[in-house]
Amino acid sequence: MRRSLILGILAVLTVPTAAMAAEGGTGGWIGPFAVIAAGIGMAIAAGLCGLGQGRAVASAVDAMARQPGAAARIQTAMIIGLALIESLAIYTLVIALILLFVKGINFS
Amino acid sequence: MEAIEHPPIFRLPGIPDHVTYTWLVMIILAAVAFIASRNLQLVPRGAQNFLEVVLEQFNQMIDDVMGHEGRRYLPLLATLGLFILTGNLMSLVPGLAGPTSNLNTTAACAIIVFCAYHWIGARKQGLLPYLKHFSGPVPLPLKPLMFVIEVISHLARPLSLTLRLFGNMVGGHILLAVIFLLMGLDGLLGWALSGSPAGIVIGGIGSAVTIVFTVGFLYPLKILVAFLQAFIFVMLTMLYISGAIEEGEHHPEHH
Repeated sequence: MRRSLILGILAVLTVPTAAMAAEGGTGGWIGPFAVIAAGIGMAIAAGLCGLGQGRAVASAVDAMARQPGAAARIQTAMIIGLALIESLAIYTLVIALILLFVKGINFS
Repeated sequence: MEAIEHPPIFRLPGIPDHVTYTWLVMIILAAVAFIASRNLQLVPRGAQNFLEVVLEQFNQMIDDVMGHEGRRYLPLLATLGLFILTGNLMSLVPGLAGPTSNLNTTAACAIIVFCAYHWIGARKQGLLPYLKHFSGPVPLPLKPLMFVIEVISHLARPLSLTLRLFGNMVGGHILLAVIFLLMGLDGLLGWALSGSPAGIVIGGIGSAVTIVFTVGFLYPLKILVAFLQAFIFVMLTMLYISGAIEEGEHHPEHH
């Protein structure tokens, strides 16, 4: 079952390669894989970034509810932390953009 | 990205768009500052009042984060903040390009921050003590290792500042560009205008929903992101500067 699943995935992933090869292969075979990698990588990064930011916001709201007097400081710290967490997902976005749009990379 | 994004209306031949629009931001900021300070009064009105409120906000932020000492660095921080905020907001106007959605502009800002906080730290406490504090309070055999790690983490700071601003701006632009592409004459709107009954129903409803979604949700979100990214850039700059100043103080137990 699992082996057939893996084989199926591999077969699906090989289709663009075969199509490229049939066309003469001028575009190189990494291009289609770059699109797949950009999508999957961005999905993983966005999901895990959401998990991390959710934990941070939950703790911050908890702390603000316990100590409303310190809400402003907690909010500032929370926003900085959220920016630092978010930048990890942004790195993945930049990598995805490089994979999708930069033509200068030698995909061969 | 030129494949899906429309080029800006006004282009100078031979000059990249972000340079042109950086100059536009500079002209806007200089004009506002000139108009506001042309006729200074003790009881401010109009533009002077507006700029005083803005700078008072900056001062209050600096007081909260760096203490009263930090007001010396108001010119650097406020200039960075106003430039980035104007650039971010300008990229939301259709037909204009945003300077902050180009990697070169954000890298320039981040490199200025990097040089500035090292310069401030080294001036405040001397070059050798400043370098010494990179190795931290660890036993002697570990100091070279800590020094290398600390240098790498300092080098990562301008990288993360650059990529955070750039990625947020460009990500938003691509989102808007894709939605406009889906909505425009090649997409739902074109389908609605094509005359087929299904196209008129589905395309009309779809384009109406997309317009409401874009105007009601995406644009406010992008404006929020523009303010938030400028705020975060300035806030991180403040944290770096205060870190560089305070690292050398030998009484960590003040107050």
